[in-house]
Amino acid sequence: MQLAVNIVVLAAIYALISCGYVLIYRVSRVLNLAHGELMLVGAYLLYSTASLLGGNPLTAVAMAAVLGLLVGVLVYVLLMRRMTGEMVLAAVLCTIALGVMLRGATVLIWSAQVRHPMEALGWSNPSLVLFGDARISLISAILIGATAVVYAALFGFLGFTRWGIRMRAAGQNPLLASQRGIQLHGVYALAWGLSTFTAGLAGMLISLDSSLDGTMTMIGLKAFPAALVGGLDSLAGALIGSAIIAIAEVLLIQFVNPLLSDVVPFFVLLAVLVIRPWGLFGSKEELDRV
Amino acid sequence: MNRWKMIAALAALSFTAAPWAQDAYVVGLSGAVTGPNADTYAPGVESVRLYIDQLNKRGGVNGKPVRLIVGDNQGEPSKAAADAKKFITQDNAVLLANVSISSTYGPMVAEAKRARVPLLFAGGACPAEVLPPNPDELQFCSIGPAMKYDAEMALRFIKEQSREPVKLGLVAMAIPLSRAGIDYAESLAPTFGITPVAKEQIPPPTPDYTPYASKLKGADPNWVYSWGPWITEVKTFEALRKLGWTGRYIAAALNPAEDELARVKDELFYGFGPNAMFLENLPVHQEMRDAARGAKLTYPITQMTEGWVAGMVIEQTLKKVAWPPTPEKVLAAIGTLKVDTKGLRGGPIEWSKTNHFGSKQHYRVYRWDAKKQAVVRVQDWVTVDVK
Amino acid sequence: MPNASGYFRTSLDQDLVLLDTRTQKVSCAVFCALLLFVPFVAKPLFIDIANQVFLAAIGALALMLVTGFAGQISLGHAGLLAAGAFTAGILFKEFAAPIWVTLPASACIGAVFGLIFGLPSLRLRGLYLAVSTLGLHFIVVYLGGEYETRRGFSTGIPLDPPSIGGWSLDNGRAWYFVLLAFAAGATLFSINLLRSKTGRAWRALRSNETVAEALGVHVAGHKLLAFVISSAMTSIAGCLFAYYRSFVSVEAFSLFLSIQYVAMVIIGGLGSILGALLGAVFVVLLPYIVEWVTAILPLTASISGLIFAINHTVFGVVMVLFLLFEPRGLVGIWQRLQNYFLLWPFRQTPLSSER
Repeated sequence: MQLAVNIVVLAAIYALISCGYVLIYRVSRVLNLAHGELMLVGAYLLYSTASLLGGNPLTAVAMAAVLGLLVGVLVYVLLMRRMTGEMVLAAVLCTIALGVMLRGATVLIWSAQVRHPMEALGWSNPSLVLFGDARISLISAILIGATAVVYAALFGFLGFTRWGIRMRAAGQNPLLASQRGIQLHGVYALAWGLSTFTAGLAGMLISLDSSLDGTMTMIGLKAFPAALVGGLDSLAGALIGSAIIAIAEVLLIQFVNPLLSDVVPFFVLLAVLVIRPWGLFGSKEELDRV
Repeated sequence: MNRWKMIAALAALSFTAAPWAQDAYVVGLSGAVTGPNADTYAPGVESVRLYIDQLNKRGGVNGKPVRLIVGDNQGEPSKAAADAKKFITQDNAVLLANVSISSTYGPMVAEAKRARVPLLFAGGACPAEVLPPNPDELQFCSIGPAMKYDAEMALRFIKEQSREPVKLGLVAMAIPLSRAGIDYAESLAPTFGITPVAKEQIPPPTPDYTPYASKLKGADPNWVYSWGPWITEVKTFEALRKLGWTGRYIAAALNPAEDELARVKDELFYGFGPNAMFLENLPVHQEMRDAARGAKLTYPITQMTEGWVAGMVIEQTLKKVAWPPTPEKVLAAIGTLKVDTKGLRGGPIEWSKTNHFGSKQHYRVYRWDAKKQAVVRVQDWVTVDVK
Repeated sequence: MPNASGYFRTSLDQDLVLLDTRTQKVSCAVFCALLLFVPFVAKPLFIDIANQVFLAAIGALALMLVTGFAGQISLGHAGLLAAGAFTAGILFKEFAAPIWVTLPASACIGAVFGLIFGLPSLRLRGLYLAVSTLGLHFIVVYLGGEYETRRGFSTGIPLDPPSIGGWSLDNGRAWYFVLLAFAAGATLFSINLLRSKTGRAWRALRSNETVAEALGVHVAGHKLLAFVISSAMTSIAGCLFAYYRSFVSVEAFSLFLSIQYVAMVIIGGLGSILGALLGAVFVVLLPYIVEWVTAILPLTASISGLIFAINHTVFGVVMVLFLLFEPRGLVGIWQRLQNYFLLWPFRQTPLSSER
């Protein structure tokens, strides 16, 4: 029973992280390798607002979330906007450089010390006993809920709202979309904002559940195979991919060798890609050249 | 015809590096000040800095200042190698120091050997090469934790504390040194009548420790021994508690332990280590606090003990080196060093030809006390012989 | 070579010459002489940096072949370097093998890994290919880590300096010449390879696979060949790295190293040998330059590690700015500079001729 709970929690973590990769890739075909760093920034923002507004934890969380969104929009406006139309690889490298910069900047601002946003908020993280004597920490439960809400909202947004449809259009054919009067820059900025928002949310929840330090960036990278297994431009794929990777990882830890848990997601990924080169749910694309 | 720019850039660089006039004892320290492991090592670097600054304010050593040159290796071995090379060839360092992850030891040792400059490990964990009976002639270690004696001490403590038979769980971070430490403890446990029931090696970036903890809990240990970076130790413990595990947990008390024991507030979470915590309020602790007051520190003073001890070792070594210093003189001085740690450790640090670590290891054990609402000492210095 | 006034070659022999004008010959000779002269006057630190540049250049050239010319993205470069380094380390530790055994062995292992790394490229493209090579990187590093732990080299595998015919390579200057020779060899090899049938097949592949196939290029074979050659070169670089630094450990071959190599080829300029060399110089030098600049700025008063965080940040900022303002790479700057002088006093090419 505990095993199932562990799988669901890990899958929710990966899903919440990987939807950010998917959003940006789907809209602008750019792979954002600074995603882990943006998670880190989101978590540190929460730490800062929590320290500032000690008495109002909810306000602090809301403010951090809004700031996260803002950071994403800023990243696009100041940086990625200029990379539109350049080589895809150059744009990807630009996100890597952004990541290096953010990593330095977080040490500069918050130092490398391990932080505990939970304490700053003044909350506690009790563990809930579920059926079958399985346990889950409150924050993990919230994380699962948040992932569900985020995915439901994103599906609704992309499927039914005006901006969501614009976003999909821009992703499908930017030229045609802009000729039909869609503000490409606005759409891209929104995608970056949303993606950073979800990244920040993931960062906050993970850091609330354990603690906050520089290794968060590597967690962002660990969710990467999940996004790819499902197909980089499919939200449903990210969800399923996260589930597959989480199942593989938890079962390996439990029954085989925990040391393999770093390597096996990539084995799964290779296996899937060899059978379906565009991921399970991804759409076939024309990305022939570098 | 192509590449003029490259030449210009290279030439510019080579000329800017003018030689320093040798007016100080130069110590080169390579540490993980930024990068993913910085939380463990940056405080150590800062405290060595703080100590040397204080030392220079007091007038330095033998009337000369000590110049501490710090390089940031970000926990990357190649950067540590480049740092060491720079310290030796550019800065003419007479002593090298390392405050970083164990994988940066190899390259620094290689550079130190090439130039025959002594190397002091001042943060992290001691490599096997400093231990008796045949230590490497250039490597020295002022760090408290050492895998063999830590394991011995922890197992002895567990045995003394428990009347019932002990089923021991073991936790390591999946890095070579930590894994070796846990493997050693596993092999040693039966000699204490302790049965190891589970061993977890947890990769450093882990989004959720629960899967590891639930496997550990599945083996139903009543004690868990953890030896590795603090993050792995404490996060695994917290995950175990969230799963409803009620056993006792003992972990090597590394830099952040004092604050962390107070944060976790669990009476069955023991931290053991060779350093006296600040709750002891020794005169030397006051001295450290005073020093910190003047300087703008990034990290809390409670994490600075290891670095402070390293600072003492550097001072005492250089004191025995007559001006002008050379690596050979420093090597001769450091090889027979005896440093009074003013109570920060259970005894002096003593090095000899056959031992570059210390002939005795002393440990104290601490835990949280709910009644007093403070971290308390559970056990005073216990001595483990270094053989 | 672009010449402002025209294209004067009239026979195949003339086209085969690497340096055809006198200016080129002279400047190349001067450049070589300078390179050979430098280690006798430069500081040891400078020689160390130069050696790092040479090592990086071999790797960057290898990556340029597979990414810049054959068009196959690889993020597994650090894995291949690790493969070469571990081959050397393991052979040295287990069999006390000398360098003339380990170096070819590294190349062979590299070639084998290249074949494996290249297999996904038969089905995958673009970023998906990049990520599958990334997966292989993790696998190589995992194997290396297991070896280290199992054999008790918890702080890395130490290596003795290699000796060739009783002459031990243990100082920076000796290494300088060895590495320079390897880097120069790799450069010449790459240039000539690209002028051969293989090189032309790669370019065709990169432009359009279907067309390449229609032209009679064996697509699968040439993709694999690109990976094999590139990986063998990279492994040689890895082996040299291990000997130069006298140690091997998995942590030296992190994902960040792969990214650095990708940065070299992109910052240098994709599809150019000169680009790979310039990129290697740039990426190796940048941290030193940043450090040097921040050291003369009045920031050093702080006791804490603030300065290092600043260095780290500035490194990222410089890379971002560079990519924003010169996404075509250093070669783009170089070509503009060259054109400026070639065309002077005009500002534009009368006939746009692509090289």
